Amino acid sequence: MAEALVIRNLSKRFGGLRAVQDLSFAVQDGETVALIGPNGAGKTTSFNLITGYYRPDTGSVFAFGRELVGLRPHEICGHGLARTFQVARPFGKMTVLANVMTGAFLRNKNLDTARSRARTAIEFVGLSAKEHTPARELTTIDQRRLEMARALATEPRLLLLDEVMAGLNHAEVDQAVALIGKLSKRGLTIVIVEHVMRAIMAVARHIVVLDHGQKIAEGGPKDIVANQEVIRAYLGTGYRYEAPAGDAAC
Amino acid sequence: MTHIWKTRPWFWVAVLAAIALVLPLVVSNPFAVDIFIRVLLFAFIGVAWNLMGGYAKQLSLGHAAYFGLGAYTSTILLIRFGISPWIGIIAGGVVAMLASLPIGALCFRLRGPYFAIATIATAQVLMLLFLKFRDFAWGAEGTTLPNLGDAPLMMQFDSKAAYYYLALALLALGLAITYRIERSWMGFYLVAVGEDEDAAEAIGVDTTKIKRHIYLISAFLTALGGTFYIQYIYFIDPNTAFSFNISVEAALVSIVGGIGTLWGPVVGTILLEATSALLQSWFGSGHGGVQLTVYSLILVSVILWRPSGLIGVFSDLYRRFTYAGAARAKEVPLDG
Amino acid sequence: MLATLAQAVVNGLLIGGIYALVSIGVTLIFGVVKIVNFAQGEFVMIGMYISFFLASTFGVDPLLSLLISMPSLFAIGVLLQHFLIRRVLALGDMPQIFLTFALSLLLMNIALLLFTANYRTVQTPYSELTFHIGPVYFAVAKLIAFAIAMLLSALLYLFLHGTDLGKAMRAAAQNREVAMLMGINPDRVFCVAVGVALALAGAAGSLLMPFYPAYPLVGQIFVLMAFVAVVLGTLGNITGALIASLMMGVAESLGVQFVGADSGLIVVFVMLLLTLAFRPNGLFGGWAR
Repeated sequence: MAEALVIRNLSKRFGGLRAVQDLSFAVQDGETVALIGPNGAGKTTSFNLITGYYRPDTGSVFAFGRELVGLRPHEICGHGLARTFQVARPFGKMTVLANVMTGAFLRNKNLDTARSRARTAIEFVGLSAKEHTPARELTTIDQRRLEMARALATEPRLLLLDEVMAGLNHAEVDQAVALIGKLSKRGLTIVIVEHVMRAIMAVARHIVVLDHGQKIAEGGPKDIVANQEVIRAYLGTGYRYEAPAGDAAC
Repeated sequence: MTHIWKTRPWFWVAVLAAIALVLPLVVSNPFAVDIFIRVLLFAFIGVAWNLMGGYAKQLSLGHAAYFGLGAYTSTILLIRFGISPWIGIIAGGVVAMLASLPIGALCFRLRGPYFAIATIATAQVLMLLFLKFRDFAWGAEGTTLPNLGDAPLMMQFDSKAAYYYLALALLALGLAITYRIERSWMGFYLVAVGEDEDAAEAIGVDTTKIKRHIYLISAFLTALGGTFYIQYIYFIDPNTAFSFNISVEAALVSIVGGIGTLWGPVVGTILLEATSALLQSWFGSGHGGVQLTVYSLILVSVILWRPSGLIGVFSDLYRRFTYAGAARAKEVPLDG
Repeated sequence: MLATLAQAVVNGLLIGGIYALVSIGVTLIFGVVKIVNFAQGEFVMIGMYISFFLASTFGVDPLLSLLISMPSLFAIGVLLQHFLIRRVLALGDMPQIFLTFALSLLLMNIALLLFTANYRTVQTPYSELTFHIGPVYFAVAKLIAFAIAMLLSALLYLFLHGTDLGKAMRAAAQNREVAMLMGINPDRVFCVAVGVALALAGAAGSLLMPFYPAYPLVGQIFVLMAFVAVVLGTLGNITGALIASLMMGVAESLGVQFVGADSGLIVVFVMLLLTLAFRPNGLFGGWAR
């Protein structure tokens, strides 16, 4: 299998704070990888480094045969990497449809084509009923859905999702998990930052654990939950591995 | 039913256009025609400002830079080289576009209030420079344009109506360009940039490029207004051509009317110029300060009570009116 | 040559003290309330007219009228924040910029209506007084103004670092959410911040009156200077604004001395554009506090 994304020795400091330190990992084409760790571990910073919002101090980000460091965010999106933001940032004045059309224009400047592609993406995230609602009137959860549709409309090969499940209830998490599963089946490579362990276990084949900006563990879900250092730094001793299909709350 | 809804805007545009076209034939009072020309000109400059300031929210307070560059380019070509302002007006637009590139490169690094301040500074620097250019731009004294009588080829006319139609054509051009942009990918991109630049970048919008492009268009159109104005008043000096009031009025009419809307600048200009004309007839033109006092009061009120602009008030009224009409129509059986 | 240079530097530093009062006000409002006050110069103008009318009607010395101009402008500032600025804080850039911009236009034009465009000056016993150290002359009025400006800046510094209210203000400037969690009432803090900023502008006006004419548009030059100084000194950084203001005063004075009498403004604008181009984050580091 080819590598979709290869990150090597990525580092970023903010003043005295080492936000990301010497981070390396790889994502295979078509794989879903989760980036986990306590708050402030450097997950969102890593996203910002990969997608061009911050310039790394050192290191390289290589995706689909191209070095991304030094590219602007829109160029990285054009190269097939789409992201969502931790706090959704919809264009509040625009309707849901207009928001997603703006994303669709990246690949096709024709109004009708963009509209129909946008509708497909909106339907995919289940927001069709609110197509003509101004984005600022949506609930937080719907705003996240919208942002995912907007990212999908850019027709990415790799999707970076930043805590799309925070604050969702049990059933909604299941919906989101199903959605990500569907995307993955279509061949999309996905990198996901998430705290909802149940969801991570369900979607991720490979997990990278960060703490204080450094990678402390990496491996399959089962290895990760058994890893003593991960338990100490993040999961806590109370955590027990649940089978993905299981219904236990976490 | 939906068919009527869709065609009705065009119906109103046609009515407006018809009124605008016959207006100078009906009204012959030169004072009134003069006001109409001012309305058309400032609505046009407002439309040019609105493309950038309204849709992309790049709140420039320095559009006088392009107004002045347009005015000076065509005037210098006319007086020094005898070139017709019809060519000069395009040349002025091109000069303004060229100037917008470095100015944009500088100012677009800044966001919000500091963008506004930087644009003020660029317009002021240009004005100060033209005050110093005595040799080819007449310095602070300025110059009057040679009066060629009725010379349509030199953009000089005996009748005010001709200037009126020229200004009307400019406004129509500005509105048509806005309409086209609003309904294309570019309109979506501009609003996206205005709403959230980071989020726009995330979905592949080259925010720097789109801002640069809209600035080019906005500067070009503003410069056309500059040439027209100088051809109309037959006089140029740096304080007229680069007047801070031009920058202010361009932003003001858009904000009062409705920022980021097609008709906002037109509504805003009609309102402000009508107010200004009334004030002049009440107080005479001797009282400096009255007009801008009232303008700024209107601006403060709009910002506090209706930041989306007054056009919303009119469309609300219109909707209420038509809904009421529709409801009444329903009560009456068609055959009754 | 050296004497001319020294003289220009001294003149620049002295007027720079006044610029500092204006820029510290702008930077204080920006730091705490996150609004750029385009009307700050007009409050200098109001301070000048207050001193002018007190002097011309009651014969009050402009320096004494500080005691009236500063509290009056403090009150205006509190009202301004409470009734106007507060209402646009949750809105976007456009209302925030154009509210104070409209206010600036309004105040200028009301002044034009009420006081006409005439220059008003106040003659004090020390208006024309100078002394010299070596070849360098010092205008007494400017020196007094400078000294009081520095004193007021120092008092502000003590207020921000030594009192609970001042500390609350700095906390609010650094992180509004955290400040609110700490139980700081932002409305009150904001009102005081704007009040203090306007009081400083009023002080600048009164201090200027013995050697500078009052007219409706006088605020423009001061606010432009302040914007440059505030950007140079890093937005929201008070010490930075102070140092940058003094530098601006010297730069302007050198420009007038060595480039030409009408080039002061051009020097300022060019400096602004250069600053924005090359150091958009200011000269004094990042968002240092």
